[in-house]
Amino acid sequence: MSEKKVSVKVPDSKAILVQRTIRSGQSIQYPGHIVVLGDVNPGAEIVAGGNILVLGCLRGIAHAGAVGNEKAVVAAFRLEPTQLRIANHITRAPDGEKWAPRQPEVARIKNGVVVIEKLQSLEEHYLAFCQ
Amino acid sequence: MGEVLVITSGKGGVGKTTTTANIGTGLAALGYKVVMVDTDIGLRNLDVVMGLENRIVYDIVDVISGNCNHKKALIKDKRQEELYLLPASQTRDKSAVTQEQMKELCQTLKNEFDYVLIDCPAGIEGGFKNAIAGADKAIVVTTPEVSAVRDADRIIGLLEANEIKNPKLIINRIRPDMVKRGDMMDIEDMIEILAIDLLGVVPEDEMIVVSTNKGEPAVMDKTSKAGQAYRNISLRITGEAVPLMHLESHTGIMSKLRKLIGF
Repeated sequence: MSEKKVSVKVPDSKAILVQRTIRSGQSIQYPGHIVVLGDVNPGAEIVAGGNILVLGCLRGIAHAGAVGNEKAVVAAFRLEPTQLRIANHITRAPDGEKWAPRQPEVARIKNGVVVIEKLQSLEEHYLAFCQ
Repeated sequence: MGEVLVITSGKGGVGKTTTTANIGTGLAALGYKVVMVDTDIGLRNLDVVMGLENRIVYDIVDVISGNCNHKKALIKDKRQEELYLLPASQTRDKSAVTQEQMKELCQTLKNEFDYVLIDCPAGIEGGFKNAIAGADKAIVVTTPEVSAVRDADRIIGLLEANEIKNPKLIINRIRPDMVKRGDMMDIEDMIEILAIDLLGVVPEDEMIVVSTNKGEPAVMDKTSKAGQAYRNISLRITGEAVPLMHLESHTGIMSKLRKLIGF
């Protein structure tokens, strides 16, 4: 990962839609929210000033709230990231554990740690993105 | 003061990264302080082979461009105490570093580690030139194929032109049964063409595929023949004289019987 300077100026209510598979070595960076209609493969990275929503499988690196927004969330139909970053928190899956989520999940910071939960209702999901 | 070894081959897919991972782990298991540097910027693999991909935060481009201190970018191995990895960047390309910067980086790392292993990208262009820029010695990996040997020969020429004298040879993925049948080049043929010292011969081994996918170098696997070969190579790098291992496997019932009665 290199020189990802996301400008603070742009309001994070803006969003872009990326309609393709993000492959290894590719990097999507945007000051607002990022919605991916496709998969994010291992070796790819998504860096957003706001939230990240992947309508597909997230296997690469996702960094939400990159300018320090601790309220940012990362949601995906299949949340299996290599590494997950929210604001200045960095997490990864424990070693030797192979887990394949069967349902859409959302990662957010709760009490200072990144937690992953089922993306239960659309309502809650909507609220998370409105924050 | 340590030593900078570049692992190169010219041709792709002959096992540079596998060799780097195994020698690195092997040397660290012997108690040396080792750092592996992945210079294949844009097509990094060493982190995956080592099973350290999910720990990467900073990479070689961050270090070289002064974005962070090299100590911050080094990733400690899961298994070996004194083994570190400096990963390549995946979102950049080979032009992100220069030969001068690589020399400087190698010099810094040399002061802190016993061995600096550089995993070179395939090809003879910028990436290769960067990888060899700061190297003291070179290890050339080849497989028993005419194309790989041809490329190894080219690489040896380029290394010599760049003042890296006496590169050592590793012959990878050899199949003793095929050599016996005359269907594969044998060790003597290759040494005759390349005319450099042999560092080791690694037999073809299914365990390599398994260990690469698992992210655990085969060198730690006591049952793996390739693992044994890499342990021997590591010892030879440290200056110990280890004889070449026997590659033929006597698994037939007759040979076992013969062994039993001492023939």
